[in-house]
Amino acid sequence: MEQTWIAEPWLIAALAGAGLVALGLVALVLTTSVYKHVICLKYLFSGWKAVVPLVSAMPAALGVFLLILVFAIMDGFAHDTREVTRGTLADIIVDAHFEGLPYYDDFAARIKEIDGVEVATPVIQTFAMVRVKPAFPAVRATVQPCMLIGIRPGEKALVGRFQQYLEQQQVTEKEPWKAALYPADRLLTVPPDIAEARREAGLPVRPGAIVGKGLVSYPVRAIESQEVDVSAVVILAWSLVGVLALGAAAVGYRAMGRYGHTTPAAWLAALYLLVAPAIGAVLLAAHGVGLLLPAAPPFPVPELTRADSSGEIWLTWGGVAALAAVWIAAAIFVFLSRERRFFWLRPVGLMHFLGGAAALLAFWSSGLRYGPHLVEQDQVEDKLAVPYGGEIVVSTIPISASGALRIEAGGVPKVNTRALTLVDTFKSGFWESDASHVYVDFSVAQALAGMDGRPAAGPDDPAAPARASQIQVKVRDPARSAAIVERIRDAWRQFVGERPDASAMVSVNTWETQQKTILGVVEMEKNITALMLGMMFLGFGVLIALISYVMAYIKSRDVGILKALGARDVGVGSLFLGYGFIVGLLGTAAGLVGSLLMIHYLDPIEIWVNQILHTDVFPRTTYYFEHIPRHLSAAWCVGVSLAVLALSTLASLAGGLLAAIKQPVETLRNE
Amino acid sequence: MSEPLEKQTRDGPILEASGLVKDYWMGPQRLRVLQGVSLSVRRGEFLCVLGPSGSGKSTLLHLLGLLDRPTEGRVVFEGQDAFDRPKRWRDRMRNEAIGFVFQFYYLMPDLTVLGNTLLPAMVRTPALAWPLARHRYRREALGVLKDLGLGERAQHLPKELSGGERQRAAIARALVHRPRVLFADEPTGNLDSATGAEIMKVLARLNRKGGLTVVMVTHDERIARQADRVLHLQDGRLLHGA
Repeated sequence: MEQTWIAEPWLIAALAGAGLVALGLVALVLTTSVYKHVICLKYLFSGWKAVVPLVSAMPAALGVFLLILVFAIMDGFAHDTREVTRGTLADIIVDAHFEGLPYYDDFAARIKEIDGVEVATPVIQTFAMVRVKPAFPAVRATVQPCMLIGIRPGEKALVGRFQQYLEQQQVTEKEPWKAALYPADRLLTVPPDIAEARREAGLPVRPGAIVGKGLVSYPVRAIESQEVDVSAVVILAWSLVGVLALGAAAVGYRAMGRYGHTTPAAWLAALYLLVAPAIGAVLLAAHGVGLLLPAAPPFPVPELTRADSSGEIWLTWGGVAALAAVWIAAAIFVFLSRERRFFWLRPVGLMHFLGGAAALLAFWSSGLRYGPHLVEQDQVEDKLAVPYGGEIVVSTIPISASGALRIEAGGVPKVNTRALTLVDTFKSGFWESDASHVYVDFSVAQALAGMDGRPAAGPDDPAAPARASQIQVKVRDPARSAAIVERIRDAWRQFVGERPDASAMVSVNTWETQQKTILGVVEMEKNITALMLGMMFLGFGVLIALISYVMAYIKSRDVGILKALGARDVGVGSLFLGYGFIVGLLGTAAGLVGSLLMIHYLDPIEIWVNQILHTDVFPRTTYYFEHIPRHLSAAWCVGVSLAVLALSTLASLAGGLLAAIKQPVETLRNE
Repeated sequence: MSEPLEKQTRDGPILEASGLVKDYWMGPQRLRVLQGVSLSVRRGEFLCVLGPSGSGKSTLLHLLGLLDRPTEGRVVFEGQDAFDRPKRWRDRMRNEAIGFVFQFYYLMPDLTVLGNTLLPAMVRTPALAWPLARHRYRREALGVLKDLGLGERAQHLPKELSGGERQRAAIARALVHRPRVLFADEPTGNLDSATGAEIMKVLARLNRKGGLTVVMVTHDERIARQADRVLHLQDGRLLHGA
């Protein structure tokens, strides 16, 4: 997952704005009558009726959860597709199509003179057929269409992320030292050991080829062990954060005034619901569970290491002591209170007791570390049909400078065929490229495509200059690509003016314009999904409005009482607005936390779902991404959260207006 | 020659109603509940409006208590024409100068007795000032509850109280802000006779010892006898002069 939170410059402004809004809200809350806060909190957290706001918060939570999760995945697809497409191509492509561009080196040199251009390299690109004979005696050869691409590897590696996508000679930003091991200009050179082996076997050494993984491999199911890090401490930390948040809310609730005799049971339920994952963490972590059982448990008990550093031990036992002290103090307080006789028998008391015990146990378990462990799962693995050093055969029909197919005597199209040695495979993660690209040296592709130069054969048959299909350009600042495109077009017009025989149909575009069809489809899918979710989101708004209206209707007697006691119409209405705001806030917070957790743990969750349902929810053969792509946009998260918050507050206007316009005598005479 | 305004306000009637008419609309049909009621309430008086069910007693009480607006006529509260003043003023009067006791108590079910008693204070106090003011209000509320014999019940919810206790809690809520007028709408209507008598004793004590002006409506003549003055309301009209 790519994190761009800190990098986004608007974040400070957004945070400042959010801070100002929060300050405004706090000021509003502090300057309005206290009865609204007390009654609102009572409606929200008093007794089992509190299930109503929890139910009301669910649509908002679901809305935020779905909008963030689905959009993150869709945006991940769009983002990864763009990244891979850009990495495979170049910032700017000068395309002369199949008929080719003569004097390409001269023009590439001219392009390099343009300010902002770093590299310009000619490329041959033509359709071809590739014949792959698997290295198994009984398996027949396959012939598939492909895109034959001739490159100068040293230059091509500088233009895009070509070398990052190689499986054998990969050089990534994380491992730049490999560049010395795999020099870019020798990427297509047959390694000496392979060349030697072929010579010893009496086989000729062919030119090297880098072939898309999809062309030379076949998928097989394989059981693979994957490392999954489900740290008990992480789960516990989340649980404790939740407990602390609820504790803070409870302190606020108490500070507002102890005007409710009953313990807010829904609050307690939420508290212990948060303690539940902490207990889960214990079950995951506690080696002691296995030890307590008389026989070996039917489920795997992971091996644990106890806290080993002094800091961890102090933290653990300090936490245990603190929690135990709080718990014992609470028990003494309850015992001294006037209802001590009933406390332990009441469900709330029992929940306190069990919850305290569970929290204690959970905290103790935080000293046990449950590190990354291996999960076995079914995987689809790409097995090479041809080993490195093996042969493939590429055939193509050469095209003349005029764009005509080369025809042999008898009217049959000429076919150029060349055997090549597989030196590496190419896997960008983008199926379109990985299942079609065959990279060979520029000169080899040029000869195969019939684009090599030809001397004059006589006065009627003048010399034909060598041609290239494209010139790929890397610019220093991609943001300036559009301006540089214009400069290259100007340069081309000038170049043709100087050399009229170089005339060719040339288009100059950025990689985005070049690939607009596929990028457009992905973007459109993303927008349609967002639109559909947005419609659903409006449905959530209607639901919240209905709940708020029903709530105000049910509480109309309270509205009458408050107005009889001098509460203003606007004040009573804003009580329900505040109710909607808090419901929205709870829902948004739950949805946001849920979606962020889901996105963070998407891969372990996918593995878990696959294992439980015996299915493959994200087949690699279909999507050809190693992991479910995801791209988290801070703007989207903030926008969705604010929108849901605003929507739930606006929707609760339904209840607020009803309460505001309700005449007190109407509600007080209806008994 | 007219008396100075200050003296008029101190010695004159605390509440005057003249020509009160109240119409309700049942679809296209107009229902005239009050047909020109005029009355005057002296400061410290215990006035009872007696009338059968449907005679317009509660409606009259709501108009006098500034809870509802008359179709015609005016209500003068402490020398001010209440419906000439902005709604905000009437809201403030209900919060500071008027107390209500209803037949069905109308306590907030989610708040304890203490919480209910503190409600008028909570309505007029902003959250910022509450932490400082809270202790004083709480002390006053507990004092009123103790006076009414509910000191031990302060932390109980209304559902845990008997009918008489609930009505006393409602009286506590109506008294805690020291109102100038207490309006009671059939305060004993939902209670047995013994408990009703007990509530009436409380109201009578507040009026005689505390000098509180009480305006009560009831259909029960025995209850009405305890008032200083009784007005009979029938079909939206007062039968005797106000």
